[in-house]
Amino acid sequence: MQDASQMTPLDYTRYDFKDPETYKVRTKRGLSRDIIRQISKIKNEPSWMLEYRLKAYEHFLERPMMDWGPDLSDIDFDAYTYYANPMEGEPRKKWEDLPADVKNTFDRLGIPKAEREFFGGVGAQYDSGTVYHKIREDLTKKGVIFTDTDTAVKEYPEILRKYFGKVVPYTDNKFSALNSAVWSGGSFVYVPPGVDAGIPLQAYFRINARSVGQFERTLIIADKGAKVHYIEGCLPLGEEVLVGDQLTPIEQIESGQTVLNSAGEETQVEKTMVRPFDGELVTISPVSVGNTFQLTPEHPVLCVPRAQVQTGRRSNRKLTDVSQTKLAKAEPRFVPAGELREGDFLHYPINKTVRDVPEMSEAAMVVLGYYLAEGCAQTINGCEAVTFTFHIDEAEFVNELDAAVVQLTGKHLWRNPQPGKHAITVGVYSKELHAFCVEHAGKLAAGKHLSKQVMDLPPEKQALLLDAYYKGDGNNYERGGTVHRVSTISRQVAFQVQELQARQGVFASINVREPFTETMKDGRTISHQRMYVVYHQVGKRAEAVRKVHGAFLVPIRKITQTPYRGSVYNFHVAGDNNTYLTKGFSVHNCTAPIYSDNSLHAAVVEVIAEPNAKIRYTTVQNWSKNVYNLVTKRAFAYENALVEWVDGNMGSKVTMKYPSVYLKGRGARADILSVAFASEGQIIDSGAKAVHAAPDTSSKIVSKSIAIRGGRTSYRGLLHVARGATGVKAAVRCDALLPDGISRSDTYPYNEIHEEDATITHEAVVGKIGEEEIFYLMSRGLKESDAIHLILMGFLAEFAKELPVDYALELNRLIQLEMTGAVG
Amino acid sequence: MTQGQGTLEVKDLHVSVAGKEILKGISLTLKKGELVAIMGPNGSGKSTLAYALAGHPRYTVTKGTATLDGKDILSQTPDARARAGLFLGFQYPVEVSGVSLSKFLWTAYTQRHVAEEIDIDAYQARLDGNMGQLGVDGAFLKRSLNEGFSGGEKKRIEVLQMSTLEPVYAILDEPDSGLDIDAVRVVGESIQAQRKPGIGILVITHYQRILKYISPDRVYVIVDGVVVKEGGRELAEELEVKGYDWVKPPSS
Repeated sequence: MQDASQMTPLDYTRYDFKDPETYKVRTKRGLSRDIIRQISKIKNEPSWMLEYRLKAYEHFLERPMMDWGPDLSDIDFDAYTYYANPMEGEPRKKWEDLPADVKNTFDRLGIPKAEREFFGGVGAQYDSGTVYHKIREDLTKKGVIFTDTDTAVKEYPEILRKYFGKVVPYTDNKFSALNSAVWSGGSFVYVPPGVDAGIPLQAYFRINARSVGQFERTLIIADKGAKVHYIEGCLPLGEEVLVGDQLTPIEQIESGQTVLNSAGEETQVEKTMVRPFDGELVTISPVSVGNTFQLTPEHPVLCVPRAQVQTGRRSNRKLTDVSQTKLAKAEPRFVPAGELREGDFLHYPINKTVRDVPEMSEAAMVVLGYYLAEGCAQTINGCEAVTFTFHIDEAEFVNELDAAVVQLTGKHLWRNPQPGKHAITVGVYSKELHAFCVEHAGKLAAGKHLSKQVMDLPPEKQALLLDAYYKGDGNNYERGGTVHRVSTISRQVAFQVQELQARQGVFASINVREPFTETMKDGRTISHQRMYVVYHQVGKRAEAVRKVHGAFLVPIRKITQTPYRGSVYNFHVAGDNNTYLTKGFSVHNCTAPIYSDNSLHAAVVEVIAEPNAKIRYTTVQNWSKNVYNLVTKRAFAYENALVEWVDGNMGSKVTMKYPSVYLKGRGARADILSVAFASEGQIIDSGAKAVHAAPDTSSKIVSKSIAIRGGRTSYRGLLHVARGATGVKAAVRCDALLPDGISRSDTYPYNEIHEEDATITHEAVVGKIGEEEIFYLMSRGLKESDAIHLILMGFLAEFAKELPVDYALELNRLIQLEMTGAVG
Repeated sequence: MTQGQGTLEVKDLHVSVAGKEILKGISLTLKKGELVAIMGPNGSGKSTLAYALAGHPRYTVTKGTATLDGKDILSQTPDARARAGLFLGFQYPVEVSGVSLSKFLWTAYTQRHVAEEIDIDAYQARLDGNMGQLGVDGAFLKRSLNEGFSGGEKKRIEVLQMSTLEPVYAILDEPDSGLDIDAVRVVGESIQAQRKPGIGILVITHYQRILKYISPDRVYVIVDGVVVKEGGRELAEELEVKGYDWVKPPSS
C-alpha cells in the first residue's frame, strides 16, 4: 500500500478540467412561454415547431400529476434550468473540436474508442446540447440518417414531420407534454427500405450541471424491411467518475493489486478510477509526519474524534486530555476528511496477514536484516557476493552475522578491515545468498525493499529481521525514555519498517529529513539525500499514540487546506469492507452523490417499424441517485415487423418507464426485456406494455428486478388485446429477487383482453436468495458476498447476454458495488 | 512436522440440528493419500457429518473438534474451510440459474488458489482431461450450474468439481445414490482415478456397490450418530451380506 501512495507528478494536460457549469448558452431557471420561445429561438427553429412546443406547454400546465405510482411531489418545476448547452453551433463531427471539459468527460468514458471499435455511429449529448454526432461513411452512402433531432428538424423536415409526435403525442402524459415543450437533442435515425444498418448506432447522455433537466427527443424509423440496432447509454461510468475520489498517488494502483482494508486484511482492487477536482484538498499530518496524506474533503476517513473521548482537562495549550478508558472502548467511525479536527485519532490497522515460508529460517532473517542496513549485493571478479560494512567497534554484530551466514551457506565471512575509515567490510561468495538477498530485500540503498513474502512472515520471525536491521542501521538516544530510530533513504523501507513494527505491537513514527547540501571545513560539499527516519520511544510516560484491538489510534497533529485543480483518484476494493489504507490509515470508498439537488430527465422516444422492419433499442442507464428519470418510450410495429426493447434501469432516485409496443399490423412481434435494480432510497417503477391491435401478433415480456437495502421495484405492465385482434399470443414473466428483508417489490399487471382466442401466459416469481444456494457456493471457496453477487448476476444473465460486452462488464461491476455490505 | 499435519482429524464430534442431537461423539481420521469409506443406514448421521465439517449454518457443533492439518476448522466460515483445502461433494447438488458451469468452476478455482499464479492453459487442459474421464460433454460447461441436469449428471459434475478444484480433503456425500449400475461404475472409477498422494478422500455411502470400484483403505460404520465399527475393505463386504442390523450400537 505504501508503495502506491507515493506522490507522482500529475499529467494536467490529459485531464484538464474546467468549471463544469460554464455554459455557452443557458436559459434562466424555471419555465414560461418566454423561456420556450427563447429555446426555440436559440435553435433557430421553424415556426411550426415553436407552435407545437407552446401547445404542449399549455397541455402540461393543465395536466395534473399522475395519481398513481411513485411520489413525485418533490419535483419543483420552477427549480430547473430547461436549456443549458456547453457550446454554440452545430454538433461537432470531429472529436477534437469538442470543448475540453466535455471532451474529457466523454473521453474518460471511452467513447471515441467505442466508436472506433464497435459502432456504426455515435452521438453524445451533454445536458441539453448534442455536442457530437458522427456516422460511418458507408452507412451514409446506403442512405442511413443518424443525426441529432435538432438538426433533423432543419435538414429532414419531411421525414421528421411525418413521424414526430405521432407515436407519443404530447397529450399522452404530463411528462411527454413537458418534453414536447422544452425538448432538446436526442437522436434521429432513419434507415431506408431494405437496408440493414448492421453494427449498432449508439448515443450517450449525460446530465452534468446542478438542477439542469435533460429532455431529449429520439425518433427511430426503420422503413420497410430495414434493420437497425440503437443503443443508448446514460453514462454508466459517469456516476463513478463523479463520486469516486481520493487523490493523486493512487493512480499507480492497478486492478487486481492487493491492498489492506481497515480490518488489516488483504483485499483486491477491483477497479480504479479518476475524476477531475477543483477545490481545496485536505492535508492531514498525524504525529508521524511521514504518514501525511491528502484527500478531497468529502472523502470518509476512519477515526475516533477527540471530542468523543476527552475528559475536559487540557493537557497542553491546544488539546484537551483524553480518557484512556473511553478511548479503549471507542468505536472508530468514518468522518469526511473536511470535518476532521486536529487531535482526532486516525485509525492505523495492523496487518493481520501471516503466511509462513518454512524455508525462510531464523538465520535468513538475521542476514536479511543486516543486508537491509549494511548489505550490498555485487559481483566481484565474476562471482556473486554479498558484502556488508560495519563500524570497527561492531565485532559483536559481525560475529552474529557470521554465524547466520555459516548456517545458510556453510562458509564463513571473509573480513577486510579498513582502518582508515574505522570500518570493516565483510562478505561471502554465494550465488544463492546473493539471489536470496536481491529477491527479498532489493538492491542498492535507494532501491531496497522487502518482498511480500517477508512482509507476511510470522511476526516472531520478523522480529529477528528488525533486530538485525536496527543493530546495523539504527541508533538509540535518551529523551524521556529511550528512542529507537533507524534512517533510510528508501521511502519504501521506512513504511515497511513501520508496518513490521506495528506487527510487533509498536507504533513507529516516520519523519522526513529534506535533502540538503553541506559545505565542510575543507571546502568539500556533501549532498544529503532525502532521508526517512523511523523512530519510536520506549518507556515514555504517556504515549500520544494508543494501541487498541488490532490497530493504533494516531492523533492528527496538523490539518491544512491546499487549493488543487487536477485529477483525483479512487479505487474500489473487493469484499464487504470497502475501505483501504492511505499511508497506512483507513479511508472509505466514497459513494456520496455530488449534488443534493434533484435533476430531471424526461425523455420521449418514438420508434416506428414499418412492415417487415426490425428494430432493437437497448438502454443501459445508471443515473446519479438524485435524478428523476421519467421517460416515455413507445414503438409502432406494422405488419410482420419486430421491435425489441432491452431496457436496464439502475441508478436514479425515481424511475418511471414502461417501454411499449403497439402491434398495428398482422404478424407484428414485440420482445421486451426490462431489468430494474433498486438500492437504498431508490424507486424503480418500470414494466412494459404490449398493445395487440392486429391479428396474429405476438409479444413476449420478461421483467427482472432486484431490490436491496430498502430499495423498491415495481413491475407495472399492460397487456391489451383489441377487439378483432384474433390469434394473439402473449407471454409475461416477472421475476423479482429480494436478497434482504427490508426491500420491496410489487407487481401490477393489467390485462385487457377483448378476444377470447388469445393465448396468454403470465408468471410472476418473487424469490429470496436461498441459504442452500449460498452455502453450496461458499463450500467451493467463494466468500458470502461473492456467492451472492454470482447468484445475482446469474439472475440477470438473460439480460446481460443481450448487452454489448462493455455494458455487461459495467453491470457486473455496478451490482458488485451496490451489493457491498448489503447482505449478511 | 506440526501435529496433525497431513490429516483431517475429527474427535468426539457432537452435532445438533434444530436442537436435536444427531452426531453423538464421532471420531475419525483421514490422511492425505487415503481413501476412507463411511457407511451406515439411512438416518445414521452420515450426511450430518459431511455438512457439519463443511460448515453448514444449520448444523451446530455442540462438542468436539475437527482439525485440518492440525488447524481448527470449526471456527471458520464454509468458504475459509474450502480455501484451506476441504471439499464437499453434495448428495443433492444445488441448481444455480444463469451461472454457467465453466464460470462457476473458474471462480471457485481462483478463490481456492487465490495466492498462486494460475496457469490458465494447464487449468483448461486438466479440466478437459477430467471431463473426458467422467464422460461429461463439453456442452455442460455452458449450461447453468446443475440446472436441469439429471441425477447422474449432477453426481458426475460434483466429482468433476472435486478433480478440478484440487482439494486436499474431499468428502463425497453419497456419490452413488440414485444412480444406475453403469453410472455408479463411471463415478466410482473416476473417484478411484483421483487417488493421489496429495488428497484424502472420504466417501459416504449407504451401499457397498460403489466400493467395488474404489477399494477403500479403511471403512467406518456409523449407526445412530456414533462409529460402531472400523475395519478394512472386508468390513464392507461383510455388511453387504449381513446388513446393518449386525452392527447395532452397543447401547441399544
